Amino acid sequence: MSKISLPPSGLTEDVLGEIRDEPEEIQLVVFTLGEQYGVPINQVQEIIRVGNITNVPNSPSYMEGVINLRGRVLSVLNLRKRLKLPVKDITKASRIVITEVENKVIGLLVDAVSHVIKMRSELIENAPEEVLEIDTDYITGVGKLKNQLVILLDLGKLLKREKLDINEGGKSAAEN
Amino acid sequence: MNYSALIKDYLDDANGHLSAFDDSLLLLEKNGVNRDVILNTLGLLHTFKGNSGMMGFESLKLYLHQVEELLKKVNDNEIGLDRVIDGLLGSANIIRNTLRTIEKDPTINPDLTENIFSLQQLLEGSGNGPDIQAVDLLSYLGTKTDTIKVDFKKLDNLLNLVGELVIFKTRLNQIGTQIKGVVNNKPLTKELSEGFELMGKTVSELQEGIMKVRMLPVGNVFNKFPRMVRDLAKSQGKEIQLAFEGEDTELDKTVIDELEEPLLHIIRNAIDHGIEPAEERIKNGKSRKGKITLSAGQESNYVIIKVKDDGRGINFEKVREAGIEKGLIKPEDFLDEDGVLSLIFSAGFTTREETTDVSGRGIGLDVVNKNISRLNGQVIVDSIPEKGTTFTIKLPLSLAIIPALMAEAGGEIYAIPMSAVDESVKVKEEDIHVINNHEVVRFREKILPVVRLNEFFGLNKKRQKRFYLVILGKTEKRLAVAVDRLRGQQEIVIKPLDDTFGKSYGIAGASILGDGRIVLIIDTMAFYERKEVSAGV
Repeated sequence: MSKISLPPSGLTEDVLGEIRDEPEEIQLVVFTLGEQYGVPINQVQEIIRVGNITNVPNSPSYMEGVINLRGRVLSVLNLRKRLKLPVKDITKASRIVITEVENKVIGLLVDAVSHVIKMRSELIENAPEEVLEIDTDYITGVGKLKNQLVILLDLGKLLKREKLDINEGGKSAAEN
Repeated sequence: MNYSALIKDYLDDANGHLSAFDDSLLLLEKNGVNRDVILNTLGLLHTFKGNSGMMGFESLKLYLHQVEELLKKVNDNEIGLDRVIDGLLGSANIIRNTLRTIEKDPTINPDLTENIFSLQQLLEGSGNGPDIQAVDLLSYLGTKTDTIKVDFKKLDNLLNLVGELVIFKTRLNQIGTQIKGVVNNKPLTKELSEGFELMGKTVSELQEGIMKVRMLPVGNVFNKFPRMVRDLAKSQGKEIQLAFEGEDTELDKTVIDELEEPLLHIIRNAIDHGIEPAEERIKNGKSRKGKITLSAGQESNYVIIKVKDDGRGINFEKVREAGIEKGLIKPEDFLDEDGVLSLIFSAGFTTREETTDVSGRGIGLDVVNKNISRLNGQVIVDSIPEKGTTFTIKLPLSLAIIPALMAEAGGEIYAIPMSAVDESVKVKEEDIHVINNHEVVRFREKILPVVRLNEFFGLNKKRQKRFYLVILGKTEKRLAVAVDRLRGQQEIVIKPLDDTFGKSYGIAGASILGDGRIVLIIDTMAFYERKEVSAGV
């Protein structure tokens, strides 16, 4: 527990409020894919503009390709394709979110990165299956802000290879 | 290796053993008998003894033997530790002084007869053994060693960093050229050029230096085989001499490690199928003893390793028959000698009706081919009936940095490891023919299957009137890979691809070009696997 400093009001409930909230606050990097999605900031290394992406033949269709990040070759996932959302072209606003989960560094291609938010964890609820476009398996919950929803992604699951994908065939097969 | 280098290695080792011996004795003196410590010490004394014998220090060898005997007696409770500990500590100092004498003048072969005698007395229970000999204080420090042990991972890491440095260097050079175009300041741009040149030179030297540090003599692998050859030959009633040539040739440690198994299979194959029993050899006018020669040598950026036997050679007819039997080829297929030889690398291939312990189970040579290809190398077989067989392995000097041919297809650039490339030619669409739904090309009196890279990778299919064929493979299965354009040869640094989402078929890795672009490196084995081509289709 961190140091307690009295709020200007000096009221007990304000002091207690601060203590209660502190450990339960999480920070999210929020990006858009139509809806707003978020991942915990501690899983994000950096956010970069979309540069040269080298296509990798015979890879799953959601593999956008590989990029050169300061001498490292990193895979980039097209998050829309991965979540089976309608495909959208890369624009000036598009970004690659470099994430690190379980010692694996992978880039996620998203439409745009909007902001970083702090959210109290009690505002996060279980995902209501019927209202979501995407598979709830990849979702840890939905955060309710004033007038918007942020869907929290489970990167650990998202970055795991599914057995089904092996049969999906290469990109060429899927697109031809 | 010359004698003085050997002496140096020997002394480095010996000092290490001696200091471990000292430690153990001090430990025993302090804590009493401890089996683990004694067994450990016996082990190191044994090695020390062996090394000394090998270097010709006969007297020191005998002395160490006596020390060993004494310690064994302690271990067997035949003699009390407290009775001999002083003698043992004394012996350590005698060894110390002996090593110092050798270090000062390696030509001296110290005579320790008297000391051996005194240890013998101690062993027999009479006398107190050696007195603690006076030792030059400095010699307690031992010799300063010139070698250090380094975890290989650290070297791997260094090589990666250098690889990146090479990439950044190329990038900086390009920026430099651009700057020269816009900045109108002669002295400054000249200085910039000189700076780049110096840096480039240093980076190259650094790269070379680090690659050298990772090298080991190929003799390290060769030396693993004499015992195996002896045992296998004996079990089959054959007489075989194993000879080495060029065992000082150096190779990257990772290559050395990967080389063991392929060599094992090839040598085993030579013993089992190549070398004839002594009687048969004599009948055919050959020497009684068969000979297998392992040789290594360097040719430009490659290391060539050969396994040559003077046995009966490969029986083409028998291989062909076995190939038909296993369904690898059809009876009506025409195969030239190279085509037949390539069959022995097929999975499950064997000419044996019965399997032996040793070979004939049809595993082995296909593993050889796979492993060597994975190292971006090549295996070639030559065989002359009754004269013998030679397996030639061609490997890049390093696994991390290889020469590659840059080829463009469907708007993308791919790197093809030079080790797989034989030559390249410019062709017209009319040169490609279709036989049995397969595209082929007539090349140097042979019909080769054609793989179009853009189709293989599902790329843009725009066909050009004139394009290039890259001919892969040597004598074994050759094939032609059609690409749109060639972009020259270049040294590339191999980087592995992330395999979270599975391995991409036909891609061996990636490399970063000077301009920061990524090129994918082609796994040429994939062409053979998918097409299942056999020579002469």
